[in-house]
Amino acid sequence: MIMQAFTAIFTPVCLGLIVFGTILGIIFGSIPGLSATMAVVLFLPITFGMEPTNGISLLVGLYMGGISGGLISAILLKIPGTPSSISTVFDGGPMADHGEAGRALGVGILYSFVGSIFGILALWFISPFLAKVTLLFSAADYFAVAVFALTIIASLSGKDMLSGLLSGLLGIALAMVGMAPIDAATRFTFGNYQLMSGFDITVLLIGVFAVTDIILVGFGRRGLSKKAEKKPYQLKGYGLSMKEFIQQLPNALRSSVIGVGIGILPGIGGSTAGLLSYTAAKNSSKYPEKFGTGIIDGIIASETSNNAVIGGSLVPLLCMGIPGNTVTAVFLGGLTIHGISPGPLIFSKSGNIVYGIYIALVVSSLIMLIFERLGLPLFVKLLDIPKHILLPIIMVLCCVGAYSSNTRVFDVYCVLGFGILGLVLKKLKMPSTPLIIGFILGSMFEENLRQALQASHGSWSIFVSRPISLCFLLVAVISCSLTVRKNLKDKKAAALAGASINTEEEEG
Amino acid sequence: MTIKMRNTIASVIFLLFGGFMFYASMGVKTVMSNDVGSGYVPRFIATLIIITAAGKLILTLLDKNPNSQKKESSTSDSLGGFGTIGLMLLYMLAFNSVGFILSTVCYLFAQMMLLSDSTNRKPILFAVLSIAVPVAVYALFVYAISMPLPVGVFGF
Repeated sequence: MIMQAFTAIFTPVCLGLIVFGTILGIIFGSIPGLSATMAVVLFLPITFGMEPTNGISLLVGLYMGGISGGLISAILLKIPGTPSSISTVFDGGPMADHGEAGRALGVGILYSFVGSIFGILALWFISPFLAKVTLLFSAADYFAVAVFALTIIASLSGKDMLSGLLSGLLGIALAMVGMAPIDAATRFTFGNYQLMSGFDITVLLIGVFAVTDIILVGFGRRGLSKKAEKKPYQLKGYGLSMKEFIQQLPNALRSSVIGVGIGILPGIGGSTAGLLSYTAAKNSSKYPEKFGTGIIDGIIASETSNNAVIGGSLVPLLCMGIPGNTVTAVFLGGLTIHGISPGPLIFSKSGNIVYGIYIALVVSSLIMLIFERLGLPLFVKLLDIPKHILLPIIMVLCCVGAYSSNTRVFDVYCVLGFGILGLVLKKLKMPSTPLIIGFILGSMFEENLRQALQASHGSWSIFVSRPISLCFLLVAVISCSLTVRKNLKDKKAAALAGASINTEEEEG
Repeated sequence: MTIKMRNTIASVIFLLFGGFMFYASMGVKTVMSNDVGSGYVPRFIATLIIITAAGKLILTLLDKNPNSQKKESSTSDSLGGFGTIGLMLLYMLAFNSVGFILSTVCYLFAQMMLLSDSTNRKPILFAVLSIAVPVAVYALFVYAISMPLPVGVFGF
């Protein structure tokens, strides 16, 4: 299977798509306001007509490039291109102020590669093991896993758990439109035959992420003409010596482990991984007082960690079909479109595709390492593209993407509908990630709940009598209780400080 | 809008939505005998939505924090936001009937004009891009990927 995957990836078309995807991902990641999620969402419909390996490889390149590109604007503009690069600004910005922008960029690119490779290795070794464990799961256990994933995501994606839960439940409700699983009964179509097949995941994603962002830019159009000051840079090689590289390996290793761990847990995201690694690096440093003044240690911690998240986040996705963040949610859509069902049997049913993903990730990391360095002058120039020109073009691509998913105009209308839904959620300060995860997990939730209840003749005790199911439900309850406690503490602290809690979330 | 008002509105919207979902799922018939039926899970989810929204509403109403009564500062530009939504709506309505290229040319030009201000408004550049982009996208999708796009009444 590995050889099959090698031959499928190392074709001119597939390699070309990975190069194209990675470069485009870097562009999306580097421009503040565009994101890795937007890049993957926009190109998902284009992969419909491709061979599965080619289509997935393009998405892999976009994901890798999208996360890695964020460091360019984080260092040169002091604005993170993606939320994952927030902690890169802490030392990248001061380094740019001291005339070391080039060194900061070089180090960031090099350690993004190190983090990516560590994440891929973790994915390669952890996934088969986890897949074997999940083979033991019954319908009741899968239902508990879905509940666990939803509560964790609702707890962690924003600072108000009830808002997160409501958003997740709305996602499940949207997934129930159309024909039901098991008996194919029609629900919530209100006489509209277009709704018989339910809402398309691509359409929901394009609407809630891309269209909502464009509408929000419309509401904030006054700030569009303001340009951030861009720092000049000079760079030779990757900006550090072999001695420095070896000295920083413990920092990189620690940050990679944190990144993989955070990636595996659903709903936390790259920015938390970066911040945690940054704090860990600072706490274990011999010179913690220098952090924030412009040293490479901070950049290494942040960039290694946020790239290690990529491999980690694919572990639960491939083994259980549970996307941990928005990008992997879109990625799941891509796998499903190409007839690949993530789950414990993915290695036996679509092993060549899984190994293809691993190899595509490695190739994409290498391309990122080479092309992000070589193409720096171009990427830096692209930061100047005006948003008032770029975003309308993206909107057109959104409509084309939605239309192409099923070749029907109804999906184009739905894109605007979901865009407005996303806007309402933003205005109400409710997180949208649980909505997407709820939509994706909705059918898994319902199908397994009904199958488990069929097996137990309608008795709910099946969910507490099976150890695996009981464990997941207990962890869900504990995590909810801890989050409620933390929310109350935060609210109290905010009240004392005379501030209010921000309940918005991050996007990948 | 104050935080309290915002949370109250969110809770009421979800309460109404949960109630409507519960009502709509009452009509879903059970087909198989050894099954809870296709209306069971929607009713379950609707109940959870109602309980969660009610919990949020109660917590909001009981919230005595003076900061939640403060009005949040807003710098949003209504004309830009609602104008963008309006342009998108018109674009989508014209997408099929007028055709991809023509509707896109009009949308792109209008949207770029709306998002720009006197300092960066360049109508000639916008016009050139508004024509070039749809033609390039049409060529890519229709001829390179063989994915049809609406041709509309004018045949292109």
